[in-house]
Amino acid sequence: MLKYVVKRFLWVIPTVLGVLTLLFGLTYLLPGDPASVMLGPRATPELINEIRERLHLNDPFYFQLWYYIIGAVRFDLGHSINSGFDVSRLIADALPHTVALAISGLGIAALIGIITGAFAATHRSKYMDGMITLASLVAVAIPDFVAALLLMMVFCVQIPIFPALGAGEAGNIPDMAWRLVLPATALAIGWMGYLSRLTRESMLQVLDSDYIRTARAFAAPHRFVAYKYALKNAIIPPITVIGLGAGKLLGGAVFIEIIFNRPGLGKLIVDAVFARDLPVVQGAILVASLLFILANLLADISYAVVDPRIQYD
Amino acid sequence: MITTTFANNGQAQQRTRVSFRRPLRVTLAETTRAILRNRGGCWIGTVLVAMMLVTAILGPFVFPIDPNLQDIANRFAGPSASHLLGTDYLGRDLLARLICGCRIAMSVAFGSISLSAIVGVILGVISGYLEGSKLDYATIFVFDVVRSFPQVVLALAVVAVLGCSMLNLILALAFTVFPFYGRIARAQTLSVKESDYVKAAEAMGLNRMKIIFRHIVPNILAPVIVCLGMDLATIIIYEAGLSFLGLGVRPPTASWGIMLRNGYRYIETSPWMILWPAVAISLSMIAFSLFSEGLRVALDPKQRQRNV
Repeated sequence: MLKYVVKRFLWVIPTVLGVLTLLFGLTYLLPGDPASVMLGPRATPELINEIRERLHLNDPFYFQLWYYIIGAVRFDLGHSINSGFDVSRLIADALPHTVALAISGLGIAALIGIITGAFAATHRSKYMDGMITLASLVAVAIPDFVAALLLMMVFCVQIPIFPALGAGEAGNIPDMAWRLVLPATALAIGWMGYLSRLTRESMLQVLDSDYIRTARAFAAPHRFVAYKYALKNAIIPPITVIGLGAGKLLGGAVFIEIIFNRPGLGKLIVDAVFARDLPVVQGAILVASLLFILANLLADISYAVVDPRIQYD
Repeated sequence: MITTTFANNGQAQQRTRVSFRRPLRVTLAETTRAILRNRGGCWIGTVLVAMMLVTAILGPFVFPIDPNLQDIANRFAGPSASHLLGTDYLGRDLLARLICGCRIAMSVAFGSISLSAIVGVILGVISGYLEGSKLDYATIFVFDVVRSFPQVVLALAVVAVLGCSMLNLILALAFTVFPFYGRIARAQTLSVKESDYVKAAEAMGLNRMKIIFRHIVPNILAPVIVCLGMDLATIIIYEAGLSFLGLGVRPPTASWGIMLRNGYRYIETSPWMILWPAVAISLSMIAFSLFSEGLRVALDPKQRQRNV
């Protein structure tokens, strides 16, 4: 297994290089000359040429790619064309918002999903079980941005409990947390349903196993057996899935941040795309995919650790 | 066949005997679940998918109201006899726009999925058949690189490069999905190519192209088709999402995402503008996931026997 883990780690390096190349290729193809965008309509040809020299835009493709990769390795992602800020700084400002959103979304999903799933499994074939199954099916079917709009419509407009827009004042923790509730819930709804179904299935399997029967034969209290013994093992499949979920949530966060107007990574990307701000688009997507690669790596490794029966070559 | 059925029965009996629960009875919960999941669910899903396809194809002929026709006097109207689902901020009929959106969603979904499945399967099969070659490694590498972007973000970047239009949206979404088909096709090919009929075809001296397309491709399609069903739902959501961001279909055209975008702007005054497209998107997600679940059962002989 150690061999697999090491191999999996090493495979990340060419992947990241490939990601850099693809990103560079995409933005290389993007129409419009960054130099003239930077300088505006009054630019003289000499000035444009000077900027092009400075940004290595006159060099051939592969040199530009090389400079780009070297820069990325040094965390130097260039400067924003519109605002002139350092791209790494813009990303560093935006990233905590996205990470907080993704983690709290994941937390809500895991908590509610696992509890309802376990409850449904212990109350199998009862009324509540059917309701939970139905609810989880509906929850899985609602895409995160639709959920966000519906939640906003109900809890910000019809019953104005939550503030609709913004991430709150920096430093004001209760305010920020309060403003995180709706976005995180919207992000979590699909995963809640999914985790609930997954937990129910795995819990039912565990409840059927011999050691649970033994525990019951010793007259251990029903609830104790279910939650102390069974849930511990039943929780493993949902937990491994959460790793994959972390990466997927990043994509969903784009929509949520636009809808709730939160200054995160997704909003940074979308705004930069509309403003044709290439360095920001490149940098922000790079960071998003690095996080995604990291989440997938952790998920794969946790699979290997949790289930030693899987053979890797 | 008889033996397997018998084995399954035996297992089932044993399970009921050792468990401490009462024997399974037909309860409301079990029935709902049976309807929602296996055969019943597949049935509902198939009907819903068929309805959506019919709406997409025949809708504009059955319900001939121009989705862009403005009725300014009746802006923000709720459901009424003249506008069955109400109107939006320009007085455009929401039902007509929903139908138009259904057309767009279906064409984008089927277009990009068939494109990505064709490209993915061809690449995957070739790479699997030539396992260990440089071409194989190169293909796997491309798959892995594309898969290491969050799908929405990659689609967004590709659309930004190509420009907003329906064709570009289809290309962008196909680009983000094709590695998944490639991986499935490759994994299947690795097992199929060891089978006797492929060995026989090789021994007969058939050329590689013939072996790949006559003997391997038809035998790896089942899992690919199952994936198709699920991915159609995903693509519908991505289409709506990207159009919502303003990076998909161009605004005057009624896509579900654009309807949501308009609804978002008037969220305080007109709930209908958000509600209907939201229902349509969620319903299509339910439809396609039930449908694909049914497909999975139908295409997997083991599952099929368990359910008969």
